[in-house]
Amino acid sequence: MADNLPILDLQEAEMEPSPGEHAERPMTLRLMPGDFALIESRDTARSTGFADLCTGMADLVSGSVGFLGQDWARLGYQETAMQRGRIGRVFANANWIHLLGIDDNILLPQRHHTNRPDSTLRDEAATLSMAFGLPGLPMGRPRDLSPADLARAACVRAFLGRPALLVLEHPLHTRFRDMMPALLNALAAARDRGAAAIWLTGSDAVWRDRSLPTTHRLRLTAAGLAQASLPSRIKAA
Amino acid sequence: MNGFRRFLQRLGRSVRARTAFALKLAALTFAVLRDAPMPGMWRRTARSEFHRSLRQSVGGAVGTIVVTAVLIGVAMIAQGLYWLTTAGQQSLVGTVLVTVLVRELAPLLVGVILLGRSGTVALSEFGTMRSNGEEHVMESLGLDPYQLLLLPRAVAYALASFTLGMVFVIVAIITGHLLGSLAGYERDTALGLLSRVLSAMAWQDFAVFPTKLLLIGILVAASSYLTGFGARRTGDVTQLLPLGFVRAITAILICSLMLSLVA
Repeated sequence: MADNLPILDLQEAEMEPSPGEHAERPMTLRLMPGDFALIESRDTARSTGFADLCTGMADLVSGSVGFLGQDWARLGYQETAMQRGRIGRVFANANWIHLLGIDDNILLPQRHHTNRPDSTLRDEAATLSMAFGLPGLPMGRPRDLSPADLARAACVRAFLGRPALLVLEHPLHTRFRDMMPALLNALAAARDRGAAAIWLTGSDAVWRDRSLPTTHRLRLTAAGLAQASLPSRIKAA
Repeated sequence: MNGFRRFLQRLGRSVRARTAFALKLAALTFAVLRDAPMPGMWRRTARSEFHRSLRQSVGGAVGTIVVTAVLIGVAMIAQGLYWLTTAGQQSLVGTVLVTVLVRELAPLLVGVILLGRSGTVALSEFGTMRSNGEEHVMESLGLDPYQLLLLPRAVAYALASFTLGMVFVIVAIITGHLLGSLAGYERDTALGLLSRVLSAMAWQDFAVFPTKLLLIGILVAASSYLTGFGARRTGDVTQLLPLGFVRAITAILICSLMLSLVA
């Protein structure tokens, strides 16, 4: 990855509104290798829309979205799929393909987009799983796992391989705060490798956490994407 | 006047929907025929799905195929042998079996059984994926549902259909022969009867029989895919089954009829 090439480059990107919904404002955001954008978003549907915009899943009315120097709108079908293989994503809602076991779900993108041997992928996934607090690479169907383990497994899938961009839609439920150290370690390792990360959160605890090593703090609302910062002092309740 | 207009609207909507489905089905079938020989389409994820689908479609239907073939052997072939022998027309046995069993009945029954055992399962899976938003997950991860789900299944169903068709014809003929031999009106050996059937086959039959079976397999998969992923996100998956069944049966019948007419 060239250091001077933005990983993600939103230039006045305006999404086509869904039927019956108002148009979102144009959004601009540039993430360089190693950048980490924490975005406060209370609305998971809006978070998903923004994540779709970043991953080339949304139709644009105007502006452009570039990923690794290439405009999503100019890529062909196969190239688009290949580029998406370089993005690790945690989804806010539906995360899993119910036909497959959870291990196959985790390995699927890497098995599809790379030629890395299955054994290597399984070893790496098992190591990541343990780092996220799972006893090993989880097996069984997604419905057999608890919500906490599913949240961990979603992170394992997102960080597996060497994603150039991480798009994490509400990866931590407040109940799963014990995942935070593992998530921050994985984020730090990915950023050291040159990845950029977007973390969409609706949690006050995460948003106000000053220890997060962010390079951008933003707020996603009906008014669009805006720079935001924490107040210099937060009064104790 | 408004009533007439509404009637025309309903009629037009229905015709457009059916035409659109037929065109999409034809396009998907063509795409499968075009992409199946391309090595680039067969990544290991697609190969895994192909193996799983082939095991499920052949393993799941072979028992039903054998039972149906035995019933057809008893009800149709043994009867045919009896009446043709009684009428002194043994020389027509091969022609009758080729025309009725090989060209028409076998592909049709195999298609219906494949649809029941595998097509409806696929339809239910695709419909559930659609209603759960799983296709969105797949596309976001750069996984093409066509390449990962339809192509391997269509090729697996096509091969399964051909395999099951061969099993069906052989079991039906052997059963009819056994019954005829036991009853005393069939004096030839089983191989002799199979040989008469093969001799009665023209080159068109050698082309039409596998073509029908392969195309029917692809149509079962493509119809299930289109119905499952074409459903509304909030729709009830169980309501898709009758729709998918009717669509696939119609496609099988039309395909069989058209190939019979061409031959």
